[in-house]
This record gives sequence, structure tokens and C-alpha cells, in this order.
Amino acid sequence: MSVADWTSPKLRKRSGEIIFYVALSLAAFIWLVPIIWMFSLSLTPNEILKTITTSLIPIKPTLQNYISVFQVGLTPRWFLNSIIVTVVTTVGTLVLCAMAGYAFARLEFKGKNILFPFVLAGLMVPKEAMFIPLFLMFAEFEMHNTYPALILPRVAAPLGVFIMTQFLKAIPRDIEEAAELDGASRWTIFWKIMLPMSVPALTALGIFTFILTWNDYLWPLVSATEKEMFTITTGLASLQGNFAQATELGSLMARGVLASAPLLILFLVFQRQLIRGIAVGSGGK
Amino acid sequence: MSDSTLAAHAPLQISRWRRWWDRNRDSVDAYLFLAPFLAVYSVFVIYPVIQAVYMSLYDWDLLAMGMREFIGLKNYASMAWGTGITWDLQHLLVWRLVGLVTIPVSWWAAFRGSMRRATAGWLSVAAAVLFAGIMGIHPGEAGGRWNDAVFWTSLGNTVEFVLISTPLIVVIGLAMALALNGSGRSLGLYRTAFFASYVFSVSVLTLIWGYLLQPQRGILAAFLSSLGVEPIPWLTNPSLAMPAIVMATLWWTVGFNMVLFLAGLQDIDPTLYEAAEIDGAGRLMQFRHITLPGLQRTTLMVIVLQIIASFQIFGQVYIMTRGGPGGSTRVLIQHIYESGFRDFELGYASAMSLFLFVIMFVVSFFQFRLSPQEE
Repeated sequence: MSVADWTSPKLRKRSGEIIFYVALSLAAFIWLVPIIWMFSLSLTPNEILKTITTSLIPIKPTLQNYISVFQVGLTPRWFLNSIIVTVVTTVGTLVLCAMAGYAFARLEFKGKNILFPFVLAGLMVPKEAMFIPLFLMFAEFEMHNTYPALILPRVAAPLGVFIMTQFLKAIPRDIEEAAELDGASRWTIFWKIMLPMSVPALTALGIFTFILTWNDYLWPLVSATEKEMFTITTGLASLQGNFAQATELGSLMARGVLASAPLLILFLVFQRQLIRGIAVGSGGK
Repeated sequence: MSDSTLAAHAPLQISRWRRWWDRNRDSVDAYLFLAPFLAVYSVFVIYPVIQAVYMSLYDWDLLAMGMREFIGLKNYASMAWGTGITWDLQHLLVWRLVGLVTIPVSWWAAFRGSMRRATAGWLSVAAAVLFAGIMGIHPGEAGGRWNDAVFWTSLGNTVEFVLISTPLIVVIGLAMALALNGSGRSLGLYRTAFFASYVFSVSVLTLIWGYLLQPQRGILAAFLSSLGVEPIPWLTNPSLAMPAIVMATLWWTVGFNMVLFLAGLQDIDPTLYEAAEIDGAGRLMQFRHITLPGLQRTTLMVIVLQIIASFQIFGQVYIMTRGGPGGSTRVLIQHIYESGFRDFELGYASAMSLFLFVIMFVVSFFQFRLSPQEE
């Protein structure tokens, strides 16, 4: 009867499922190998890495590579630069986009039919391609190698306005109307009612902006040319060219781990919101 | 003016002002709310485009800030023209014929009703101009050459990257979404695993992959040698460098497309599958007749986003290979960057930026035309 058992639909389905999950686990493991490898190298002493670099488990694990990050080089400074630039950009983007989105979603005004398409047109401007005129603009005001130069061009996000407009449009009007009857001002309505109600959209937009700003490479490369003003992303890139690669591999990987740490933590905590944000942001739903 | 007339007019003035205020209060508020965004947006997003157009008409030296000379369209000529340029039918014939297939395909789609006729018309015109016309232009045999051959190499490499990476990243993203669509807790863990690589910055990506691909010390070589394969010098071999960049990019960004496809799958009405099941339709039938049509909108969006992102490729190439070996991975943004900041030719770099801008504008234009009209 065993032959009949194996061909029974239930068992076939069960074994199919097992094969599926085994294959999936293998694929996921291979997918994560580069990340595991980076962690492993960052925990291995540099002396050992001179001979063995291919172990996924650290040999004679040590935290020395991480300690050295704070002793040698500018990595802590770059990290701080990235934090400042990213946090200010994210908060600025949220405030500006929420205000503009509120105007487009809730207020009737002359010129709306022109202004909204004008903002959407910005979606077609490739930020990466327009760094030459931006460079000149900041050069004329001698503002390169400053935080405002790293922040300002990244704050105006047409996509953010679009997302906020769509989201605010979908909120029912009755609470606002009640507040209006009570004599609340526009600003109060926006600040006390609309903003708290749009927390889901703000979270998604905020995380997304945070990731993109933290990882921005071309504009910081163009604008911040002094070593002290590098962000962690451009700083880490600069190390890959001229670091004593053969002898300091472990320290380099430790810097890579530190550079990714804020985003990895953010990702693990806010995964759900981030994923929804991507779907909403690019789907235009 | 006598006192009496003033007294008579004052209330009228106030009430007129008052009425204007009542009528325009919303507009005033709206502009106050919009002002901060519009200011930053106009200065840092819109104005640079205009400034780029202006700069592209000048010989604009980065070092001599005061020195610039109006040269009309000469930057565009240095970019896209040369000496002894000719046109003939045979040049790049195979590629052009492949490109021209766009025309029958789009009319077939229009005939089936999945594309508007006007769009098929636009696509055909664009394909005819590009493939039948422009791509036949090249330097002639007898001493002809481009003004800037590197521009064409960079454009060619960029297009190569777009053409290889887009189908791969889109199809694999779709496959991953189909495999991981569902509500089980374990599926969620797998989704997390495959999406995690997206949060790394480009310099962490290159840090990992630069070493991973190394023939002497990389983990890929170690794995391959256990299978008996000789170490492969990925990044130093001109014909392997671009595939290696594509591989790293795939690992980095495919999770993003997976998430978009997963969202698209959520939007398909589940009762359609139930009905199909009752009708006895198999999995493959369901995929062909429910899943694929249901994902049409998402797929189009993913393709367009992918093309736009791929045209702007820079970081991974610049850090890992600096465009080498032998210029085989040099891409358009790198050429713009180096023209501006190594050769100090800001005008010329602006002309190339606008060229890239136009490519992306055309791609987005077709996205708008192709996406189903909203009611």
C-alpha cells in the first residue's frame, strides 16, 4: 500500500510543500551570505584575515575592529554628519510635504489646477542628472562643504507632496468641520487634527526619506569635498580606494557594519510601514 | 476731500476689504501652506533644469568662474557629432531590426485593446525615428570619428546595463513575489530576508561585493573552487565586469521590486481565484488569466521605475571599477561627473545631463500614456 500512499494527493501536496520550503531556505541563506560574511569579517582579527578570508563564522572573534573605528580615522565624524543631514532632511521633508499636501487636498484656491501639475512635473526631473547646475548654485554662494548644501536640495520631494495629498484627501471631513464650527484656526486644524491622523503616511514617507538620504552618494560626493564633511556613505567609498586593503580588511568591514546599523535597525523595527510606504509611494494609489 | 465724504466712504472700504478677505481666505491660507515647499522646490528642483539649459549653451569653465563664452549648440555637437559622419542602412542592422519589432508589437497590443491606438502611434513614430533613422548614423570609413567617442561608449554601456538588468530584476522580483505571497508567518520572515539587502548604501554594497568577487580572497571564488572552477577575475575582465555589476545590483535592488509586486498581488480580487477553482482551472491557467492581467499596471510601473533608475547608475560602477577595465563599465553619469569635475567643462557636462533628462522624460511620458486612464 505504500506506493498508493505516496501518490495520494494529500501526501504529494505535503511533500511538495517541504521541497518548497527547503528550496526557499537555501535561497534565503545564499541571499544572506554576503551580509553574514561582512559581519564575520568585521569580528575577525586582521592578522587572521591575511591568510583566511572566506569563513562565515569569525575565527577567534574580537571586537578590536570596532574599537579601532573610534581610534583611527574620521568614521565617527562622518557618522555624525550623516545623522545630522539625514534627520534634518527627513523632518524638513515631512513638514514641507504635509503642509503642501494639506493645501492641495483640503483648500480650494486660485491656481490649484496649475500648481498641482507643476509639482507633479518634478517627478520627471532626475535628481541624479541635475547636479552640475546645483553645484554651481552652491559654489556661487560659497556654501559647499556645509550642512545646508547637503540638506536643502534633498528637502523638496514632489513625490512626498503627492503621497500626502492622496492620503489627506481620503480622510473623512466631519472632524475638521466640527473643529471649524468651534472656531479652530486653519493652523490648529492642520497641526492638531490632520497631522495626527496622517501618522501612517508620515511614518512611511519618513522612513523612505531617511533611507534614501542616508544612502545618497552622488550629491555628497559633489558638494562635500573636504574630508571632515563627508557623509558615512561617501566616506566609506573613499576608504575603499586607498585604505590599506590587504591588512585592514576587518576594520573596513566593521565600518561597513556601523554604516548600515541605523538602517538595519530602522528596517527591522519599521518593516511593515516601510513596505507599505514603497507600495503607496510608487504605486500612486 | 471733505470730512463728510471720508465718513461716507470708510465703511464701504472696510466692507470691500472684508468681502475680499472672506472670498479669498482659502487662497491666502493655501499659499501660506504651500510657500515653504514651493520655494525650496522651485529653487532646487525646477531652476536647475533651466540653469542647465542655459549653461549648455556656453563654454563654461569651472576654474575660471568669470570666463564663459556663448557657443550656441556647440556643446551638443561635441557630444553627439563628429567629422565624416555618415548614415547607412547596414550599421548595427541586427539591433535596429530587433528594435523595429516594437512597431508590430504595439499595433498588435492596440488591436487587442490593451493599448490605446494613439499610444501605439507614438511608440511607432519613436521606434521608427530611433531605429530606422538615428541609429544608422555613424562615423564614415574614411577617417570619420566622433567628437567625443567616450560619450558613445558611456551611453552604450549604460544602455547595455539597462537592457540586461531591467528584464532580470523585474522577472526575478515577480518570481520572488509569487513565491512569497501569502499570510504565513514564515513567509514574512523570508520576505524580510530577501528585502534586507535593499537598505544598504551603495558604498556598503561595493564594500561587500568588491571583496566577494575578488578571485584570490573572495567567498565566491572559494565556493566555485570547491566545485572545481578556477577563480574568475570578475572585475578586471572587460567582458565580465558589467555582468558582475548587474549581479551585485540585482542582489541590492530586487527586493524593492518584490515588494511592489507583492502589493500588486494584494490588489487582485481573491474571489476571482475562488471562482476559477470552482470552474476547475489549474494553477497555470489561473496565473495566465487572473494573476498576469491583474498585475499589468504594477508590471508597467516596475519596468518604468527600473529603467529610470538603471539609466542613473553610477555609484556601484564608480566605486568598484572606476569605469574600467578599459572603459568597459564607464556609464553616462560618470562621464558627466568627470567632464564637470575632472575636465572642468560645466557647459558640456550640462548638455549631457539634459540628454539624460530627455531620455528619462520620454520613458516617463510613455508610462503616462500606457497606464490605464483613471476615471
